[in-house]
Formats: sequence, C-alpha cells, structure tokens
Amino acid sequence: MSVQIDFARLPRQRVPRFVLSPRRVLSDVLSKGWVESAIPFIAFIVMVLGVVLGTKGYVTATNLGNLTQYAADGGLVVLALLVVVAVGGIDLSVGSNFAMSAFAALYAFHILGLPVWAVLGFSLACGALVGVVNGALAGLMGCGALLTTLGTAITVRGLFTLASQARLVAIASSTRSSDLWDWIGFEKPFGMPVGFLVLIAVALLIFFMFRQSRFGWHILAVGGNRKAARHGGINVKLTVFFAYVVAGLIVGLAGFLFAARQNSIGSDTGIGLEFFALTALVVGLGGFVPGRGSVVAVLMGFATIYVLENALINSGFRGDFTEFVLGVIIILILGLDVRFRKNRHRLLASTYLDPVALQVDEINGMAGLMPNAVAPKLSGAALIGSGKIDGPEDVLLDSNDNLYCGTRDGRIVCFAAPDHSEASVVAKIGGRPLGLALDAEGRIVACVAGMGLVRVTLQGDVELLTDQTERSFFSIQDDTTIRMADDLDIAADGTIYFSDATKRYDIADWGLDLLEGRPNGRLLSFDPKSRTTKTVCDNLIFPNGVCLTHDGQHLLVASTWTCSILIFDLQNLSGGPRVFVHGLPGYPDNINRASDGGYWIALAGMRNPVMDEAMTMPRLRRRMAKRVPPTNWLFGNLNIGGVLKIDGQGRICDALWDKPDGQLYMITSMREHRGALYLGGVTNNKIGRLALDRADAAWTGPGSYWKKA
Amino acid sequence: MSVFFRRRESEMPAMSLEGALGPNSRLDDADAFAISKPDAVCVNGDGHLLVSSGSEVLLMRQWGQAPERWANFDAPVTALAVSGSGHVAIGLVGGRLVIRGPSGEASQGWTPSTHPRAIVDCLFLSDDEVAVVDHGYGPDEPVLSLAPWDDAARGQVLAIGRGGATRVIAAGLHCPMGIARRPDGSLVITELERARVIDASGQALQSGYPAYLSRIRKIGGAYAIACLSRRDPLIEFLKTEREFVARMKANIDPRHWISPRANPEFSYEFPIELGATRLFGEIKPWAPSFSYGLVIETDPDMTPVGSAHSRANGFRHAISDVTGWNDDVIAVSRASEEILKFHPTGHADER
Repeated sequence: MSVQIDFARLPRQRVPRFVLSPRRVLSDVLSKGWVESAIPFIAFIVMVLGVVLGTKGYVTATNLGNLTQYAADGGLVVLALLVVVAVGGIDLSVGSNFAMSAFAALYAFHILGLPVWAVLGFSLACGALVGVVNGALAGLMGCGALLTTLGTAITVRGLFTLASQARLVAIASSTRSSDLWDWIGFEKPFGMPVGFLVLIAVALLIFFMFRQSRFGWHILAVGGNRKAARHGGINVKLTVFFAYVVAGLIVGLAGFLFAARQNSIGSDTGIGLEFFALTALVVGLGGFVPGRGSVVAVLMGFATIYVLENALINSGFRGDFTEFVLGVIIILILGLDVRFRKNRHRLLASTYLDPVALQVDEINGMAGLMPNAVAPKLSGAALIGSGKIDGPEDVLLDSNDNLYCGTRDGRIVCFAAPDHSEASVVAKIGGRPLGLALDAEGRIVACVAGMGLVRVTLQGDVELLTDQTERSFFSIQDDTTIRMADDLDIAADGTIYFSDATKRYDIADWGLDLLEGRPNGRLLSFDPKSRTTKTVCDNLIFPNGVCLTHDGQHLLVASTWTCSILIFDLQNLSGGPRVFVHGLPGYPDNINRASDGGYWIALAGMRNPVMDEAMTMPRLRRRMAKRVPPTNWLFGNLNIGGVLKIDGQGRICDALWDKPDGQLYMITSMREHRGALYLGGVTNNKIGRLALDRADAAWTGPGSYWKKA
Repeated sequence: MSVFFRRRESEMPAMSLEGALGPNSRLDDADAFAISKPDAVCVNGDGHLLVSSGSEVLLMRQWGQAPERWANFDAPVTALAVSGSGHVAIGLVGGRLVIRGPSGEASQGWTPSTHPRAIVDCLFLSDDEVAVVDHGYGPDEPVLSLAPWDDAARGQVLAIGRGGATRVIAAGLHCPMGIARRPDGSLVITELERARVIDASGQALQSGYPAYLSRIRKIGGAYAIACLSRRDPLIEFLKTEREFVARMKANIDPRHWISPRANPEFSYEFPIELGATRLFGEIKPWAPSFSYGLVIETDPDMTPVGSAHSRANGFRHAISDVTGWNDDVIAVSRASEEILKFHPTGHADER
C-alpha cells in the first residue's frame, strides 16, 4: 500500500540560515533589559570622549591615580543610596553619617588607640547606628523617609560639629601611626588605591545581593510594589529597616576609608555629599526608580558626574561656573533619558512587526475541486460534542475508538466509544493544547502552545517532556524557549518530531505572524531516551502539521503561509526540506495518514487574490498593522475551510468542503478511523464525523503506526 | 525621530457607529415582506406603495397584502418617483426614463434627447420636468466594487423635461445615488463613496457619515438615508495605498476586489478581516463586515438623530431605498430581498 517517494527528484525548499533585518535587530535590542541604561551609557561614553579629546593631558597616570584615590567616598555613598532608593526610600543623612563615621574612626584610632580592625568596626557601627535610627523611624514606624532622614541628617550633623570641635585638636595633635592604617590610606596594591578596590568589592557584593540573594530580591520586590510584596509574604517593614542598616554600614565604611586617607576632618566634611550622590543616582537610573538595583547603571552615573566635575575643575573654571555647566549637562542627559524610557515600548511596538514580501505559488492541481465546483461533502457530517468543548484544534482516536481532543482552556477531553456522546476530562494541562499523538505505550503526547511538549497518560498524569531547545546561533533574542508547539508525530524509534510554529509571537497573536510572513518557525525533535531536544530545521515559515509518511522514512511538514507541504528525509535531516505539495488553495494545518496510502490535509482557511497580492507588499502590511485596528486587518478567509486528500506522491485527489455557512469551517485537523473522518477546528465547539465511501473500515491510526512495527 | 517629537495628525472628523448611530437590531426585528430583486420604493398618489421587483413595478395597497403587478418593463427598474399629480417616473437599466400615468398608463410626450449612463434615482421637479441622478457607471459595472477605488467624479444630475429638453443641474459628482428636495425647493444629493450630502452646487451640507449612502428621502419634516453598507477602516486605509490599489485593479478581477458588498454571504473567494473570524460557527454581531444594513434618520439639517441596523450577523443588508408610509418607515433590503417596515425614531410604539 505504501508508495515509494522519490525524494531526490523533489524540488529543494530554500531555508535561510538566519534572518538579517535591521528592523529585527533594533526590535530585539530594544526588548533587552539592559537597553534601559542606554542613555546613561551613551552619556558616559560621550562625556569621556569629550573630556579626553578636549582636555590636554587628562589621561595621565597621575590624574587617573588621583581620580581612583578619591572615587571611593562618593562611589560607596552612591551605592548606599541605591540600596535605600531600591527599597522605595531615600536617605538625606548620608553626608552627615559619612562625616560622623569618619570622626568615629579618627576618634577610635587617635584618642582610644584601638587597633585598626577595631577602628573599622567602630566606624561601621557608627554608620550602622544612623541606619538603625533611620530604618526604625522610616521602616518600622512608617514615618516618611524624607522627613526622617532630613531629621537625622541635621541631628547627626549637629552631633558631628559638637564632637569634632571638642576633639579636633586632640586628633590633630595625635602622633599615633600604624602601618595598616597608612596602608589603607595610601597603598596601591595591583596599582589601585585600597579604597577603590573596596569600592569594586562592595559594588560586586551589592550586584550579587540584588541578583542572587533573597534579601536583595525582597528589597526589589518591596520597592517595586509594596502591597504586592506584602501579599507575597515578604516582611516589608523589616526589609526596609535592614535596607537602611545596610546603607548605613556602607556609609560607615566610606567614612572609615576617608579617615584613613585624610587622617583629619573639617567642619565641611561630607557637606553636599548627599546631593552629589543623589545626582549621580538620578543620572544613572533616570530618576528615583524604586525596585531597580542597577549597580552598573548607577556607577556609570557616578562616573559621569565625578569625571565631568573633575575635568571642569582641572580646566581651571571658576567653581560657580563649574556647577552651572554641570547642572546644564545633567538636565540634558536626564531629559533625553526620560524621553527615551517613556517611548521605548512605543519604539519597540512600532518596530517589532517586520514583514517581508512573500510570493505564494499559484493554486494548482485543484481543477474541478474548488468549493464552487464540487458538492459540499462535509455538510453530510455528523456533529459530535456540540457546545461541550471549546476549540478542538486536533482530534485523536485510540485503538478502542475513544475520541480525544484538546480544548482552549487547557484540557484534554475524551469522548468515550462507541457513541462519543459524553465528554470527560482526561487531564488539565493548562496552556493551549494543539497537536496530539499516541505513543507506542498508548499515552497522549500533546503540543501545548505556551508550554512545550507534554505527555499525558490516560489516567490523567501530566509530564512536561520539554519546553526548551538549543539557542540558535544568530539571534539577539534568547530563542531557547519553545513558544508555540503546534503539531507532532512520533517515529518508530520513539523520537518525537514537532513544530514550533513561531518564535516571535504567542498564540494570541498568531495572526501577526502571517502579516510578517517571515520564517519564524522551526522543526524540533525530542528523544525520550536521552530526553534531549534538538532543532532539526530552523527558519521555516509557520511550520504547522507534522506527519510521518507511511513508510516511516520521511516527514511531512505543512508550511501554512506558503500554502505548501514540505518533506524531510529522516535519514538525512540536515539535507533540509524539499517541496512535496505546493500551490494549495488554502492555509494547510495538520496532516495525517489516510488508509489508502495517501494523506489528509486540513485547510484552516482559504487564500484569495487580494490577500496573495498583499503578501507581496510588506510595507503595506506594516502600515496596516500600525494604522488599522487589529480586528480590521486584512486576512485570509478563516470562515471557510476544508480537507484535501492527496495520494502518496502528493497529487491532490479529493477535496471535502462544507457549505459556505456550514458548521465545519476552519478545519485544523482530521483523523481517519475505521472508515470515518473526524474533523476538529480551533475556533469551533464541535467535532465533525464524516463516513467515508471508499475507505478501509478496519484501518486505524494507532494500527498504522504501532501494530505493524 | 518621530518617537521623540510626536506629531498629532488631524483627520477629517467622521461619525462612528455610536450615539444616535449606535448599534441596534431594528432592521432585523422589523416586519418584512419578501419581494424578488427589489431596489426602489415610493408611495403613489393614492397612498399605495410602489416597489420595483426586477423589471416589474408592484403595487401594495396595504402592508402585508399580496402585491399586484402595476407595470412591467423590458429591463430592470432602477429608480422610482411620484409627482404631485400622481405621475410616476421610472428609471431603467441603461439610463432610460419612462413616465407613466397614475394608473400605470403610458404618458405622452416624454422622449428624452439624451440618455445618461444610469438612472439611480429621480425626482419630479414639476409635472413637466424630472431630475435624474446618474452615477456614471454602466449596467455591467458593479458600483459598490468600483466606486471606492475610483477617483473620477463622473456622476451628474440632469433635469429632463417633457418634450425631451435636458439641462444639467449638477455635474462632476462622485457617484451620486439619491436626490430629495428641501422645503425651500433646493435639492439635496447623496454621494455613495464620499459619504456626504451635498446641494446642487456641490457644497457639502453634512459629511462624514459612517456608511456608503444610497437614496435619501424626506420623511415628515426630516430625512432618512438608506445605506448600502458601512464604511470600514481597512478599506479607508487601503484607499491611501496607491500602489496596492493600482495592482489590485491591474491584476485582480473586480469580483474579487476588496470592497463593500451587498451580500453577507461567506465565500472562499473573498478575504475577511481578522476580527470577522467565526467563533463556534457564528459570526459575532460586532464583527467587522463588508456588508451591513443601515438606515440613518436625520433632522432637517442632516444631522443623524436615529438609526436602524442589521449587523454583521444579520441578513437584511444593502438597504437601497427608504420611504415613509402611514407613519412607518419602509426600507428595501437588497441582500435579503425584502421590504421592511419599522417605526421611525421617536414613534410612540418604538421600543
């Protein structure tokens, strides 16, 4: 019965190795998270270039040494502010705290004569204490962060002034010195000041805190949405409290480093530091953005301000002019940044759809078989399960004649033999079950859009087989996740071949994939023995139905938007596909075996001259997607569908249509079983059953696949 | 970068199917009487209804009563009008005008010297002169398919006098479809594709109707406008796509063009709009559709005050004519081949 397919004589289907499109690159880049920091980054680069080119001899070892020498104070304070701002607060007391911690360090070193490690502890404790007060008031008691920290700023500044005036002479006249103390202040291990190395270490710690630690995630969650964080079981008050304490500790560390380097303090120590830090933070983050712990962006903002200020002062400008220029540049950067952030999603939305010209072959092989030329045979079909199911995209029959289908609400439903009148739920998977197949053990393997490949036993056990494949080499977007698993078939060795119809759109937006007309889909395989998923062929145009030929040597894959059926040689998958059938009158969906050695092809919709013309005009489709509401987009006719019968060589030999307003319209799948054809439709609420005239009444799908093997 | 400097483009104000034009099912709920191939309707001097049915004109004395043949012609009837003295003007396919007496008898002396390409509507200016509306398309040209893609203003309104004298009332109109007279005697003309009502000088009296306008009739002190379909955002957009329109005209049979249609049929030969996809086999009433049934009721200034709809899931589409009869509104649905009777907006019995 099975017919040999002369694979070598079939025309090759060209499959691109990668899709190169500037618009796609732009949209892929825009959808990356790191693009949020694009403007601060560009500002930083421009500023560095400007300074380097505009200032003679700026990049000298001495100047760079100076820059790194003094970077630690400000850098650490900015990081401390980042922690507080990320949790949704603000800390105006960092300047005073910084001065107080520096005083504490000097007091501990010179007056108390403590060893250096104890001085560090003393300084940190001082910083943390201010953090505890801030945290207790702003976090635990719920006083406003702005007022609380303003209060502590003034109080601590007052304390600092009193204490420093009382002890300044004693500190200045102290002669105590220590190698470790001096090493911290002046030594340059690895060519960099100790303070700078500490800054890098703290930055790394905070980076990993936000990325990897529970506490860091809690901070971001609380900053992102306090209410949601509380409902999620996070202790919001305690998280805020500890964020202030951590900030206080970091400021304490900065004060310690300052003390070790300067060995003195003045009445103006730390004055204006909070505003410098706030400016750097705002330039880096693009505003006070709670719930974002972008250490890199904030350090970039800090570096921008720090270097700019340094360069302006180095150039010999007057102090007031320096501040004026600095202010103008900051406003400029912030203005651009805010505008970019506000419009990024809009830019992304307007660039995401990226249509290309698609020339679909003329309809051929359909003479005398078009809907207006033949009687509507499907109008004689019986209807099963009317109103009991929502969207049976695929239908499946087991060897006991039970009928299965997936539904829109993520269930696998069974209509028990013999009368198929009662619906019962086999399993609730979730996602959107599409293609189904029975494996050798009689379990159902389902392609589930939004999930991947799922195996369901008839007892209702659900097992996710795979939801990821290899990442394609040329892609900016991570395309490992299987986005729209569509249909599958299982080879004799158990390998599951299945299609991922589009990598760029979710099932709700599948219509956009037609408007795009690009090769966005791929054919995948899953080996249940090794549990590995492989990409068999990437860059196919909406690969949909998958069917193993009767001889088990080849694989048929429907390419929906090109109205053609591709064929792969299982012995030589890397050889790529060839064209088995082309010029279909509609959009092919699933393909399944017929009892006479041929195949059934479901047509989900019909093409027409206007749509074919529009497919050759990518810019038209792009403008349409922009200017016309989605409900009014020009589309193939999904209100008419049918089933084509092809023989083993791919010649169309029959066409089954319903009446134009009939109940079986958008046919996405059909299965032949014991002399009848069962028909499913993704937007229908019923399954059709058509008795076939000249079909083998004993033939079943499971028998065809597994009994002979 | 338009992202940074967004332009706010202003467009011509257009009405949407909201408010007075909001959706309802008045046409679907209306009383209906089946008539084969109906097109035009009018009330004669005796207060009876004349309805065209293919090449015949039928007379209905009372609503629901079996109509009797009033006149028969050798070509399909395309327009009907009644004069103050009860004479009836009949437009026929090919632009021929026939005048009959109150009982259907031939009326002497009406031999027009020129034939317009078509007569889609007519109106007695006096007992001796008839204004005829010529949309400019021949009998083989499907107006609904062609007019939306046509820039040429080939329509005209002529006055044909007894004895054959012809004068041009208005020329250079874009697919005029209907004509009515205002209380001051001046004329109002509807344009199908431009979706506006103009006066004889071409000046717009009201524009931006969300429909393809057919005939306009004075009912009471105000007007009712029959609409062949509703306007569609996709077609409006495609009109701006010059290359697409040129390629469609060059490569595709007009039968398959994207255009408003007179019939809600499903056919594999036509595209649909994405939102028109059937769910569970049914078309949603709010689905975008290329055919639609709509009668717009306006005030004396042509501002809509009410409407009657047959939506995407209905069948009473392509309303070609409308008239007032015994306090009711009579509309002709070409798609369902029916005449419909419903109460005007504001009527005491109207739900």
